[in-house]
Amino acid sequence: MSFELVPGEILALLGPNGAGKTTTLRMLAALIAPTSGSVLLDGNTVTRANAARLRASIGFLTEMPGLWERLTVRQNLAVYARLQGLPSAAQAVDRMLDLFAISDRAGDYAGELSKGLKQRVALARTLLHDPPIVLLDEPTAGLDPHSAHDLRDLVQRLRDDRRAVLLSTHNLDEVNRVADRVAVLRARLVALDTPEALRTRLFGRRVRVELSRDAASYASMLRATGIDDVIVEGDILSMSLNGQVTVPDLVRRLVENGAAINAVTPEERSLEDVYLRLLEDPQ
Amino acid sequence: MKRIAALVAKELNELRRSPSIFLPAVLTGAAAILYPFVIAIIVPYFAGERLADSSDFQLATEVFRSQPEARGLTPEGAIQAFVFEYALVLMVGLTTVTGSMAVAAHSVVGEKQARTLEPLLATPVTTFELLAAKIIGAALPGIALMLGCFAIYVGAVAVFAERGVWTMMLTTRSLALVFVMGPLAALLGLQLAVCASSRVNDARTAQQLGALIIVLPIAALQIGQFLGGIVLTTGMIAAIAVLLCASNAVLMSIAIRLFDRESILTRWK
Repeated sequence: MSFELVPGEILALLGPNGAGKTTTLRMLAALIAPTSGSVLLDGNTVTRANAARLRASIGFLTEMPGLWERLTVRQNLAVYARLQGLPSAAQAVDRMLDLFAISDRAGDYAGELSKGLKQRVALARTLLHDPPIVLLDEPTAGLDPHSAHDLRDLVQRLRDDRRAVLLSTHNLDEVNRVADRVAVLRARLVALDTPEALRTRLFGRRVRVELSRDAASYASMLRATGIDDVIVEGDILSMSLNGQVTVPDLVRRLVENGAAINAVTPEERSLEDVYLRLLEDPQ
Repeated sequence: MKRIAALVAKELNELRRSPSIFLPAVLTGAAAILYPFVIAIIVPYFAGERLADSSDFQLATEVFRSQPEARGLTPEGAIQAFVFEYALVLMVGLTTVTGSMAVAAHSVVGEKQARTLEPLLATPVTTFELLAAKIIGAALPGIALMLGCFAIYVGAVAVFAERGVWTMMLTTRSLALVFVMGPLAALLGLQLAVCASSRVNDARTAQQLGALIIVLPIAALQIGQFLGGIVLTTGMIAAIAVLLCASNAVLMSIAIRLFDRESILTRWK
């Protein structure tokens, strides 16, 4: 696989279990070495010799929060602040506690926190040293909808801060909401593009035309003029437009044949459809 | 050094919240303090016989009385000093090693089991810093326990043994045993435990492997002393200390090689 991640971008890694998402993240986090190929961070190839130094520019949120449960939230963060060599560790911890709205829980033992709060503390730990590269391994897995929503907001703020964010997830809705580009893995890189481009590539550009009546008769007319893949659902026509037929062309043909059009809207295939299609037929 | 200090502080903080893992070591310390008193004070008291009247200690007494510091003691005091000083080896060895290893065996394996190792490895911390912190963080409680036991031991000898016997606990030889050999033996045991815990997934296995390798020689030394076959002179203590230092250096380099970040991350579940 080969891909590039740039500042201010959220790239989502999708793939079934065992596809290599976590392994990819670990390679990028300079935790394990690739069996072949190389990882470049800000132009520097990661090697065993420079891995420890380069890890300082990465924030890696692991699949499990991995907090020391017998330490308080503040103690957890303080240890990491010192490990990251921050000059004013206490201030950095306070800043993160404020940023993640967990100041009131700073004295609580990590073992006493809910899963959502643990994940929030883990994300605070990940960003403590202000890393330009952020790797998130299934950050919302197992969270309730409210916590997941909060966490997605935080992830979007990372993009606003011009950080490069790589997000591994199974949650396609989450990808739809936050990702700029999607990489689909299945032991290799199956596809890499924006969600919209993947939709268009796999399913073409589809539109829905809502008519006042008798949609079925117009369907045969459209097929006769070369528009295939026309689906009729009551008074609605759904079809895929190729490059030769534009939406104004389509509207003109329908109106010329006496159709009364109520609405024309683009029809979006879900990312789930895209994902499943890619896994069914990686070519 | 800052990273090592941060991790050592973290280890000690965690230990404060789970002192129960230290309980077996405290009980071992209590037993190690008690057993020479049983031999030298309690049994003779209840039997109504003095140790000096028994021929069992004749050889040991002669060996011990050859030391200039012991010449001012009564025959009974010399035998008590022999028992108490030689029992120090076991007390120092057992308390430091069991105390330290109770903590150490939980260190790498404990981090693996709690899934806290991966975020830790994702920081700039080096393998040397991580292992050094683990070893120091475990050694400090063990050494503190040993020093506490030693203070109680000397105090109890001063109260219950013949006059002047307690001063034999503060000879160069005894102090070298407490302040040099004990910590070095603990470090050796700890490195073995950390090596083991890098390769196993069970804290108890790591603890047993480390303890077995270090406690057996200590027990052998103790038996050899009592049988009169080994006389632990200051020179011998210095030689053992040098050997322990060298072993510690070799073991640290082995531990760093054994601590394979990649296999730890990819194989443990």
